[in-house]
Amino acid sequence: MVTDDQLLQELEKRFRENKESLLQLQKMTSELKEVNKKLEESEALKTHFISNITNEIINPFAAILGLSRNILDVKKENWEKVISMVHLIHSEAFNLDFQLKNVFAAAKLEAGEWIPDIMNVNVNQLISSTLDSFKYEAAKRRIELYYDFDVSPGIEKSFYFLTDPEKLKIIISNLLSNAIKYSNSESEVKVKARLEVENLYVSVIDKGIGVSEKNKKIIFDRFKRVDNGINSLNRGHGLGLSVNKAILDLLGGEIEMQSVANEETVFTICIPPGERSVNYDGMASDGNEFLFDNDGDELF
Amino acid sequence: MELKTHFLYPSTLFFSREPFIVNTILGSCVSLCLYDPINRTGGINHYMLPFWNGEGLASPKYGNIAIEKLLEKMLQTGSKKNNLIAKVFGGAEVIDTKISQFHIGERNIEIAQRVLKDLNIQISGQSLGGKNGRKIQFNTETGAVLQKMIARQGLEPKK
Repeated sequence: MVTDDQLLQELEKRFRENKESLLQLQKMTSELKEVNKKLEESEALKTHFISNITNEIINPFAAILGLSRNILDVKKENWEKVISMVHLIHSEAFNLDFQLKNVFAAAKLEAGEWIPDIMNVNVNQLISSTLDSFKYEAAKRRIELYYDFDVSPGIEKSFYFLTDPEKLKIIISNLLSNAIKYSNSESEVKVKARLEVENLYVSVIDKGIGVSEKNKKIIFDRFKRVDNGINSLNRGHGLGLSVNKAILDLLGGEIEMQSVANEETVFTICIPPGERSVNYDGMASDGNEFLFDNDGDELF
Repeated sequence: MELKTHFLYPSTLFFSREPFIVNTILGSCVSLCLYDPINRTGGINHYMLPFWNGEGLASPKYGNIAIEKLLEKMLQTGSKKNNLIAKVFGGAEVIDTKISQFHIGERNIEIAQRVLKDLNIQISGQSLGGKNGRKIQFNTETGAVLQKMIARQGLEPKK
């Protein structure tokens, strides 16, 4: 026999369960709405991107063509005029090259056809040359670039690390470009690298406007730019950080950000050493051989 | 003749008209092998999460995108959807958890099965779920897949 009390208890329990699943359903629905909104936004941004890119490519090209024509017309005795024009050409070409690299990287990553090409990389040299390529961009706004390498005992001044140099360079370029863009003029941007428990850490530190709490969530989304107003001084497609994130996924790495508005913003990446690319003879060099003997193999 | 080999990284996919042996390691990730017995070509993906949620790039890290892109590749190279055969592997729960949202393996499997059903592509072979990782080897010329389970201890399976 079931007593009234037990009956009541059972009823209460069922009501509670119902209420809980209703709550869960509501939560899921609101999550779904959120995702849906994001997808719609992303689609809108993509459309916007395609309509903008024409300008972003054609304008720099027009500037480069115009300036080089001017240089051709300069009389020999006025050669000094040429220097400032060459600076402008370099700046336009550099930006164009940088933007296009990101667009191509994003396309290859979205196609899933970009695989790590791991080799022994001289990290110091790679970072130094990346910094060097940004020196004119930085100089335009009188920003000093510094590179700091943590020399721990046992690690040589120029150290080698197993990773994909092309992809590492894109990651660091994107961080540097952002750091310079969002820095106040006459400040400094620092790059620090260190090896810790086998992993490579690279931090890019600027003293710029910083990233607000609200924006922290969206900075890794594609085509998102924190200041995408018409009057924004900064160009770019908002692809950099989403490209970085996807490359780091591929390399098994992580990216972290700490930011205090108008004081300091630090982006740090951490990459584990890669395994050397698999050779065409079917053997991976680092204990990653596929040994398919017939024992315990299943065929599908 | 020895076939060329390719190691398939997570979040990427592989397709070639040339015959290849494709190796990959699966934990909670899922690989879908699509094979066209008429053209004797095949392709494979390796996704980590079921759905792209609008964050980051729309890469084949996500099942819905990885499956669509792989199918697109096959169709572009002259395969007919009706001829395709699917084999699905992976989706293990390598991390114990009671929270259903975290059952990534299960959700990865579900999307493959659901999308293939919608596309009317038959699954002719599969090895899914469980608690162990898998090594698989896909021959794109014959469509054959060799599988070896990875013991839980020892080699840490990749995601």
